[in-house]
Amino acid sequence: MNNVLYPYRQKSCNFELDWIKIELFFTLVCEEQLWIFYTLLLQPKPENAITIGVSARVLFNMEKEQQIYEQQGMEEYIKYQVEHETQPFSPGPAFSFVKALEAVNTRLRELYPESEELFDVVLMTNNHAYVGLRLINTINYHKLFIERFCMTGGNSPIGYLKAYHTNLYLSADPVKVREALEEGIAAATMFTPEKITEVSETQLRVAFDGDAVLFSDESERIYKAHGLDKFFEHEKTHENKLQMDPVILLYSFCCLQGPLKGFLEALGKLQKKFYGKGQRMDCPIRTYLVTARSAASSGTRALKTLRSWGLEIDEALFLAGAPKGPMLEKIRPHIFFDDQMFHVEGAAEMGTVACHVPYGIAQRITKKGIHDKETSSAPQES
Amino acid sequence: MVSTIQNTDVKQKDADRAVVVAVTSRAVFESGADGDDVYGMGVAFPLLQALQRVNERLLEENPAESLLFDVVLITTDSQQQQQSSRIISSTRHYGLEVSRFCFSSEEDFVESLQKNNVQLFLSTDRNEVPQASQKGVLSALLDRQEAPSEQLRVMFCGDAVNRPDAGPMPASRQAAQSFSAQLGEMRQRFGMSDSPLSIVLMTSHGGRESCGGALRTLRSRGVNVDEAYCLAGAPLSPILSVVRPHFLLSDGFSGLED
Repeated sequence: MNNVLYPYRQKSCNFELDWIKIELFFTLVCEEQLWIFYTLLLQPKPENAITIGVSARVLFNMEKEQQIYEQQGMEEYIKYQVEHETQPFSPGPAFSFVKALEAVNTRLRELYPESEELFDVVLMTNNHAYVGLRLINTINYHKLFIERFCMTGGNSPIGYLKAYHTNLYLSADPVKVREALEEGIAAATMFTPEKITEVSETQLRVAFDGDAVLFSDESERIYKAHGLDKFFEHEKTHENKLQMDPVILLYSFCCLQGPLKGFLEALGKLQKKFYGKGQRMDCPIRTYLVTARSAASSGTRALKTLRSWGLEIDEALFLAGAPKGPMLEKIRPHIFFDDQMFHVEGAAEMGTVACHVPYGIAQRITKKGIHDKETSSAPQES
Repeated sequence: MVSTIQNTDVKQKDADRAVVVAVTSRAVFESGADGDDVYGMGVAFPLLQALQRVNERLLEENPAESLLFDVVLITTDSQQQQQSSRIISSTRHYGLEVSRFCFSSEEDFVESLQKNNVQLFLSTDRNEVPQASQKGVLSALLDRQEAPSEQLRVMFCGDAVNRPDAGPMPASRQAAQSFSAQLGEMRQRFGMSDSPLSIVLMTSHGGRESCGGALRTLRSRGVNVDEAYCLAGAPLSPILSVVRPHFLLSDGFSGLED
């Protein structure tokens, strides 16, 4: 089977609109099937913030209220919320993550007082605005810096996520998370561990699984089908970046990236701002790759792909199939993303705040099972 | 010259309790070819249907309900005055629940609004809206809707809701207060979900305290807000295109500068 790619080059052109920069790359022609694709890369201008949408249920502990909603219905739920308006919620699984984002912002403001390249946390909830005052009171009580919110009163938050150019959406509702992913927004379902391991208040730590999170889950298949291995073998390093055929680079960029690649990229951009001021050792952001792959070939391939995208990861842990829970307990990330519930549950059992990214082939089999559970969960809550 | 004609097709509302909403005929109807007897549907058409739906649902809950929308079609220029019969026949053609037609000109349309006890004036004309507002009539600008919703969606712009209680209240602010109170009362006739009416609050500049304050103020007027959006300086139009309110209300001048 001759699946060789014949690169067809065009001039690349860029143009800028108010808030986005569009780069038109090369086109690619494959001999087998004459498919040609163009890629339009929409990049938010660097001046813009990294927007993180969090739902109320992951930011705060609303278990009791959720129970009331499920067992007694909407009216009772609202009544309870309003009656307890002055009682702040206790922190939820996303709380320490948000606090860590704020710690990073504080450090960024010290170094770059004029810059708007900061984390911007938006409370994105399905709740009615009746519950709004209790949420605002709680934000005040915990001294969080959340000034933007959307309380959609039962409507889907997806449109608002897009309107805010959300870089990452965290919710307890897997239906909304899947909707967001389908719209091209990085999203994950956050679970609450029984007991949350203490995490750093000064350094944000984010851990990612590789396949179907940073990389497309079909990367293995694509590599083999198009013999991309040989392109990665003959690498030349130049200023810490791989020198590759730009067409292959483009191809890998389009077809191999996973839903959270953009978020890692955003973290990397902020990290470089600290490096630029000589704060590499003391950087308040640290990223981890925690993968079931082994270090040999498939593991190094992962790292090479990341480098070809201009991305760096601080620590890569290749577990060669071993459970992730104990490793994560050592790392103590504020948040861990994985596409497989098995790993998410394993991590949560050991105290890590783990999020499920319902993306890729693994989901298509389990989708039916989850759907039955969803019909009994609260559609209005998020 | 100002004249009022009742629409005998439609049952007249209780003058004391009904919420009188005046919409310009230019907003409701699109002028087609001169030969046509009936106008085309204009920008405000979906809004009128939404108002009608609220009335229908209110009457379903309570057939003796008197707190209903009382829709008045008003012409605001002399040219439109000439078209009076076409306006009336078009209204009947579409079966619109319009109880009265007010015919006036540029000089006296505000007088007509006041005479008819109009509590909310809606127009597509950027000059008419502030004119009415300055004379104490709560007014809002109507815009073409991309995908108008069936549910009546009213947006309050919260930066205007919070004002220190200093000095005499401008007349239109008083109108805004009483209108919002009536709207709040109407909203309470329905449950949390499946309401034909949604009350939306948006604060564009302030942070969460600003929005929280607006929520409290509205609640003190008996208005429980369904949806709240605190923008804290983020651009308006992307959010507006998702929220899709039929109109926005802010004190004094309506129509947000994007």
